[in-house]
Amino acid sequence: MELRLDPDLETFRKEVRAFIDRVLPADMKERQLRKVANNAAVPDLLEWMRILNAHGRSVPHWPEEHGGCGWTPMQLFIFNEELYKADAPEFDWGGTHMLGPVLYTYGSDYLKDKFLPMIREGVTMWAQGFSEPGSGSDLASLRTSAELVGDKYVVNGQKIWTSGAAHADWGFFLVRTDKNVKPQRGISFLIIKMDTPGITVRQIPQINGEAHLCEVFLDNVEVPADQLIGEPGMGWTYAKFLLEHERTTSSFIYWSKRELARAKDIALGESVGGRRVADDPAFRARFAKVEADLLALEWSVLRVLAHEEFDAPEAAAASVLKIRGSELQQEITMLQVDAMGAKSLRFFDVAPVPPPAPTDAWPDYAPGRTTVALINRAATIYGGSKQIQKNILAKLAFGL
Amino acid sequence: MDFAKSDIQAMLLDSAERLLSENADVEYWRHQRSSALGFDEARWAQFAELGWLALPVPEAAGGLDGTIEDIALLNIALGKALATEPYVSTVVLADHVLKQAVDEARALELLGEIAGGTLRIALAHQENGAHPLDVEAAATLARPSAGGYLLSGSKIMALDAPSAGRLIVSARIEGEEGIGLFLIPADAPGLSAESYPLIDGTRASDIVFADVTLPADALLVGGNRGAAVLREAVDRASIALMAQAVGAMEAANKVCGAYVQERKQFGTAIGSFQAIQHIMADNFVAAHQARSMLYHALANADADEATRSAALSAARLVIGEAGQTVSRNGIQVHGGYGLTDEYAIGHYFRRLMCIEKQYGDLIQHGERFGDSIFG
Repeated sequence: MELRLDPDLETFRKEVRAFIDRVLPADMKERQLRKVANNAAVPDLLEWMRILNAHGRSVPHWPEEHGGCGWTPMQLFIFNEELYKADAPEFDWGGTHMLGPVLYTYGSDYLKDKFLPMIREGVTMWAQGFSEPGSGSDLASLRTSAELVGDKYVVNGQKIWTSGAAHADWGFFLVRTDKNVKPQRGISFLIIKMDTPGITVRQIPQINGEAHLCEVFLDNVEVPADQLIGEPGMGWTYAKFLLEHERTTSSFIYWSKRELARAKDIALGESVGGRRVADDPAFRARFAKVEADLLALEWSVLRVLAHEEFDAPEAAAASVLKIRGSELQQEITMLQVDAMGAKSLRFFDVAPVPPPAPTDAWPDYAPGRTTVALINRAATIYGGSKQIQKNILAKLAFGL
Repeated sequence: MDFAKSDIQAMLLDSAERLLSENADVEYWRHQRSSALGFDEARWAQFAELGWLALPVPEAAGGLDGTIEDIALLNIALGKALATEPYVSTVVLADHVLKQAVDEARALELLGEIAGGTLRIALAHQENGAHPLDVEAAATLARPSAGGYLLSGSKIMALDAPSAGRLIVSARIEGEEGIGLFLIPADAPGLSAESYPLIDGTRASDIVFADVTLPADALLVGGNRGAAVLREAVDRASIALMAQAVGAMEAANKVCGAYVQERKQFGTAIGSFQAIQHIMADNFVAAHQARSMLYHALANADADEATRSAALSAARLVIGEAGQTVSRNGIQVHGGYGLTDEYAIGHYFRRLMCIEKQYGDLIQHGERFGDSIFG
């Protein structure tokens, strides 16, 4: 048992930090730092992918033959941590972390050759079409159908909560290709171009002023049959694969570490009656518990990355990361909001970028905190709600 | 970073499993609780035979020179079995103080006695009303006298003192800064003790020193070094206790998992109810995070004092709360049986409550960690 960090990794961290400092454009970083919306502007996302790709680092976690860096899990952890710390735009996770691994694991050579470079080089934004109005937690009940007619699938149905669909060039969808088998066995994984005739995207106005989440209506959408990944009927298996492949992503550990640091800055910057919020004993106690809980989450992530031997199935640890990761995102954003007291109630529109120039009363950090905190209630809902995760845990850990 | 156990650690855990698992039940715990010292001297001798008492002892004193990770792994096993032996007081806390003692030769001799199972030492530091994390707050006074000292003052809740042959006592030294740590026979003239059990069956004493005469060499370590050594020793004791808490939580979860599958109401196992399943899931999450935090404390155990104490208090915060979550929920899923002395969960509950409050409680560790964040 060796729990101290390998000193070589500190050298690696320094190299990564210097690299990001060198290649991240100052104006892009500034926009990231000051954005009001939860999500970065699409041009920045794609441009950042192109910059990383020019240095061979846009998909470091992929196999080397597809453009990966051949790094260890700990090196990847440090790379991601430093990206977030530096306020770099986030990856287009749908492409790089969800579709990519499914493609290079199960896709045909044709699909790999066509789409892996598009993801790697930051050419396209991707939408993920899984949930449906009637299929949230019970995803396997999804009804969007894809019927094979000649060399095309004809797709009909509706998807919802499709993040960024309005700006996506392509999407990967779970569709039902067989209605006569067990629900999980009739699902396939299909790549669809978003400007195909028959697709209508409606942006959903959210409680925080954004309209990032979308509904996608598919009405007799014709999709080339060779855009089905792997085997028909295996879509559920592939979807489960990608969730297991990305079992530490749902912890949001890098994001939460950065945002907790920001919560600390706010608590040091705001005062009430001449006392810094940071010096209020009740606030400090609450902050201390959240920071301690975040340290615990970080070690839980490290345990999963190291495949620690564990007397429950490894998937149980993934549910722990999802539950704690989502709860802590919410607790951290609420620390930011509560540290600003009633000032947190001011509505900042996501549209003007950058937001209004900072003043003494409304420092740099004010715009955006509440916008993010409001939509962060989603964290315990998407990707398997907290209650579903608890059902899974009870089964995996206790056989209930 | 590697979570895999070394060969020595695997052997240690294997021996722990063999010795402890046969006596990890309510009947055994109740029997020990009603015994004179709260634990079985014969099993303490077995601890010695297995080398457990020699674990942190230097090789020069016949010990195994084990690491804090080794100690933590063994304490996970002790916690799982709710062992009431004074392992933390003697082998973790006293050993650390002795290893820093000025008179090395004598310290090695004493460490050898501990390793052999013939000497137990308890710490008498806490005073009524004093902050448990402020080690320099001792009012107990050692006055220089006739080439030695005269010790006066009083201590409360000296854990494991009733079974200890000697005590390490913290005291201010008249005319000097810092505190001194003195080694005193438990039966020294002028020393009187009132002993009592804690709710988990372990024992403690309130001790009064009425001008106890000490020779000069009773002072193990003094001055500013004394306070630093005591802080280190108490932090190591905290790590061992947290390891016991992790073991106790994991065991309690197993007990509860089995119980909710056996217990039937409305014609079905209560574990089939989602309300119960979610309580069990919460318990699993809590115990998992507790183990993660033990690793965090271990990774920082030998760091500089500020880093170490911040990491340790953060860990105490998470593990203390997790212990309460797991055991309170555990009582709840047991219904009325959880409140009886005849079911294991109530024993885990009491032990976890004791651990949460020893060497600083949740509030005090929360404050210390909060201060480390904001200064």
